[in-house]
Amino acid sequence: MPLWHSCLVLSGAVLLSLGISAAMLAFQDKPALEGIVRLFLGAFGSIWALEDCLVKAIPLFLCSLGVAVAFRLQIWNIGAEGQFALGAIGASWFALTFKGLGPLVMLPGMLGMALFAGGLWACIPAVLKLRMKANEIIVTLMMNYIAILFLDYLVYGPWKDQESYGFPMTPVFSPAAVVATTGSTRLNWGTLLCFLFGVLIWIFLRYSRLGFELMASGENVRCARYARLPYERLVILVMVISGALAGCAGFLEASANLNRLQPSIMVGYGYTAIVVAWLARLNPLYIGLASFLLAGLRVGVENLQLDLQVPAAFGSIMEGLILLTVLAAGFFNQYRLGVHKK
Amino acid sequence: MKKGLIILAVGVLLLFIIVWNIFLVEKKPVAPVQEKQPERAQVKTEDGKALKVGFVYVSPVGDAGWSYAHNQGRLAVEAMEGVTTSFVESVKEGPDSERVIQNMARKGFDVIFATSFGYMDPMLNVAKKFPKTIFMHCSGYKTAENMGNYFGRMYQARYLSGMVAGAMTKNNTLGYVAAFPIPEVIRGINAFTLGSQSLNPAVEVRVVWTKTWYDPATEKEAAKSLLDIGADVIAQHQDSPGPQEAAQEKGVYSVGYNSDMSAFAPKAHLTAPIWNWGSYYVDIVNQVKNGTWKSMAAWPGMDQGIVALAPFGAMVPADIQKKVLAMKTDLTAGKVKVFTGPIHDQAGNVKIAANASAADKELLGTTWFVKGVIGTTE
Amino acid sequence: MSAEIIILLLAATVQSGTPILYATLGEIVTEKVGILNLGVEGMMMVGALAGFIAALYTGQATLAFLVGGLAGGLLAALHGLVCIGFQGNQVVSGLALTILGTGLADYLGTPFVGQKVTGFSAVPLPLLADIPGLGPVFFNQDPLVYGSYLIVPLLWLFFRNTKWGLRLRSVGEYPEAALAAGVSVHLYRWAGVIGGGFLVGLGGAYLSLAYTHLWTSGMSAGRGWIAVALVIFAFWRPERALIGAYLFGGIMAFQLRLQAMGTHIPSSLLLMLPYGLTVLVLVLSSRKGTRAQSPAALGINIEPAE
Repeated sequence: MPLWHSCLVLSGAVLLSLGISAAMLAFQDKPALEGIVRLFLGAFGSIWALEDCLVKAIPLFLCSLGVAVAFRLQIWNIGAEGQFALGAIGASWFALTFKGLGPLVMLPGMLGMALFAGGLWACIPAVLKLRMKANEIIVTLMMNYIAILFLDYLVYGPWKDQESYGFPMTPVFSPAAVVATTGSTRLNWGTLLCFLFGVLIWIFLRYSRLGFELMASGENVRCARYARLPYERLVILVMVISGALAGCAGFLEASANLNRLQPSIMVGYGYTAIVVAWLARLNPLYIGLASFLLAGLRVGVENLQLDLQVPAAFGSIMEGLILLTVLAAGFFNQYRLGVHKK
Repeated sequence: MKKGLIILAVGVLLLFIIVWNIFLVEKKPVAPVQEKQPERAQVKTEDGKALKVGFVYVSPVGDAGWSYAHNQGRLAVEAMEGVTTSFVESVKEGPDSERVIQNMARKGFDVIFATSFGYMDPMLNVAKKFPKTIFMHCSGYKTAENMGNYFGRMYQARYLSGMVAGAMTKNNTLGYVAAFPIPEVIRGINAFTLGSQSLNPAVEVRVVWTKTWYDPATEKEAAKSLLDIGADVIAQHQDSPGPQEAAQEKGVYSVGYNSDMSAFAPKAHLTAPIWNWGSYYVDIVNQVKNGTWKSMAAWPGMDQGIVALAPFGAMVPADIQKKVLAMKTDLTAGKVKVFTGPIHDQAGNVKIAANASAADKELLGTTWFVKGVIGTTE
Repeated sequence: MSAEIIILLLAATVQSGTPILYATLGEIVTEKVGILNLGVEGMMMVGALAGFIAALYTGQATLAFLVGGLAGGLLAALHGLVCIGFQGNQVVSGLALTILGTGLADYLGTPFVGQKVTGFSAVPLPLLADIPGLGPVFFNQDPLVYGSYLIVPLLWLFFRNTKWGLRLRSVGEYPEAALAAGVSVHLYRWAGVIGGGFLVGLGGAYLSLAYTHLWTSGMSAGRGWIAVALVIFAFWRPERALIGAYLFGGIMAFQLRLQAMGTHIPSSLLLMLPYGLTVLVLVLSSRKGTRAQSPAALGINIEPAE
């Protein structure tokens, strides 16, 4: 399949969904074409817009990188949301407990705690799956709710800041516990961490023996067992990697963007990550691209709201339409036209 | 081939980011950078250009409550001459809100209203970068030269609605369906309880937390749980009128919130403490237009009409209506204050001494229930 | 707790379980034909709004309920188009459906905030409602609850004993064999997806027509996700779906009543109960050896080769 062909089909799909969205705009007496242009300008039209997209793409990227690793082994981890929460909790615990540390100890410590807490949380469904045969989809989903409520419990109860007038949030972290932003921008050094993890996972999947075993087991679990691949260990491994990456996203979000822990840290990145991972066919490189584009869409829609006064729900509709048409377009990539002839 | 191209593209993108990072870190400023922005508001209006007013909402306008009420206020501003408004809804507190507020400032909005507590720190960050834009934050406590905060003394109306509920209950048990244990909600429950006790000292108020703002089914279920254990007046701090329905179906009374909810429970709805943001927003925008706006921490109450009491239901006897209205006059005139001691907490400790009244700072950070409330603030 | 309160709690259990039950049954039908549809939440949102609007304009509660179902089915048809027609990834398509459905409901519904419909209310069944204990719990409910009592055994019989039911299952278990036996795999998959979406839509409409009689955005508030989880919990069996839905609804109703009676346990911890116990029950019942029987071809697209 030549590259230009798939590009053509993909852009056709995106154009189609944009066309439908434009028609919906026109239906409301809003300037349709201008709306679409404003959407793009809002997302990618200026340096700061690009920067906003990147900031929003960081947690998405890390979470979907994590779930993609699990999906490779056909372990349906939909618990990135909860693992994200646990990562934020772990990092905050470290920051609040060891207040006096300098950034060189503090930040790695927080990162370590976040990876540990997220990985541990993801380990539970893995163990339950192996020992008790409990389906991981339901366990990870339920554990999302539990993790978020646990976060709630902490910030409404024991960790509540005495200075915050009784609002549910921890005290602000010490400056050492804040991942620095770069200059005047809102972009933080976590971007570098994303890059690092992305490359590591890519190398791991492609070049390491374990990675090979993982891919092979994912293709066919039964064959893997015959080949004496350590399936059980692999399940634990991918879940821990998955959870640790989501946990890292939680750490970055709490440290760099909020500077404290509060309930509004949970905005559903863990669920969006699943969309991103599949859309990118579980490939780390595509995941980077897909999370950036999806973040861009979400940022751009705000511009549309501001300039043309369309409701926020319009953004969800557009996002849903784009995803559906892009998926449908995949069909023409795989089969070309004329597949029905037989 | 295909893969190679994409790897190249992503690589270039990442390289770009890194270079950009390193480049920008060089000129890390000490003070926040102030971005270039359009000239000051008043000048613009003189030019005949419209004043641009932006609103940031935490939930969709369709939440039937909080954001809906603020949006009604926005519509009042929109109706003013020489003013255009715009809003962004469903904006999550945290980094998303900072981005939205910052983009509004960049686009040259002259006044920006942010209507949720969690927008406070993000708004403050943006306010430092855009000294010529006027920022107004609802329900917080921080201010800056160009950022004011405002809220309404909803607890005054809550107190009055509590009086009605206390007078109407037969079991001396009131049910209160509440969203999240944050100070505004706790303060409201306290005021409601004090109000009901003022006419009926034997009354107790039972609280159920739903941890939702607008999930009508759960909120109705919470009201039913209170009705099951004998509550015969249901009050609420939720956006949806779900609890009202529960009271109507059981044939008992209810107290609404946010706006007049009598349409949902005509036989049950006694009254409701309601928000009325329109006049306040119009007032602030006028101040900006005239150049008289100054940063402040405003907490207006019934005297300015930002909170009010919905009309009484027909079942409220005239003598009770009279008592409540008399109290309303006193509250409005400032003769009486709701939180005047002696006030005890649940354990019976004196929190506000006799004849003293709570300072605003204490009120803003209320985390304890008064005596007579059954429930926990965690 | 007195007996009276326990009976009230159980009655509340049935009602709060019913919307989840409808949605779970719908997702079971969908998954039986081998299609995973994670768009339950979106279909419920759309169902709730469509039912509400229909009731507002026609005043016919039953008709409105069916309209809610149709809206759910219509949205599900989109999923069918992408997954059956175009062989798209079922996970992404389902999640996209949730995003789309939530957006659509919000977008179209905002003008209807603050309105009220008549809808359904409790109708005690003669004789049955007088049975001590059981009567007030099960037979003093609204007609839609009675409807759900009927659908569960009907679905059970349908999948076990009817030709169509067996074919539907075969399409999800072993589509190649079904194809060889002359069953139109795509046709049955379409039927399963739309039929399932219809039931999910009914669950949404239950929220705005019977549970409450009003509409706000975000009406289904996560119930769709619970339904997706309960399908697995139920091992794809309608009768176990009933248990799962009531278990979940019951613990939700229980924790609210615990608060109303006065407790010092923080509400965040109480709210964990339904989720924690669902996991616990799943773990215990999975261990007993009743292996979860997911349809073998679940999530696998069948190429258009007919």
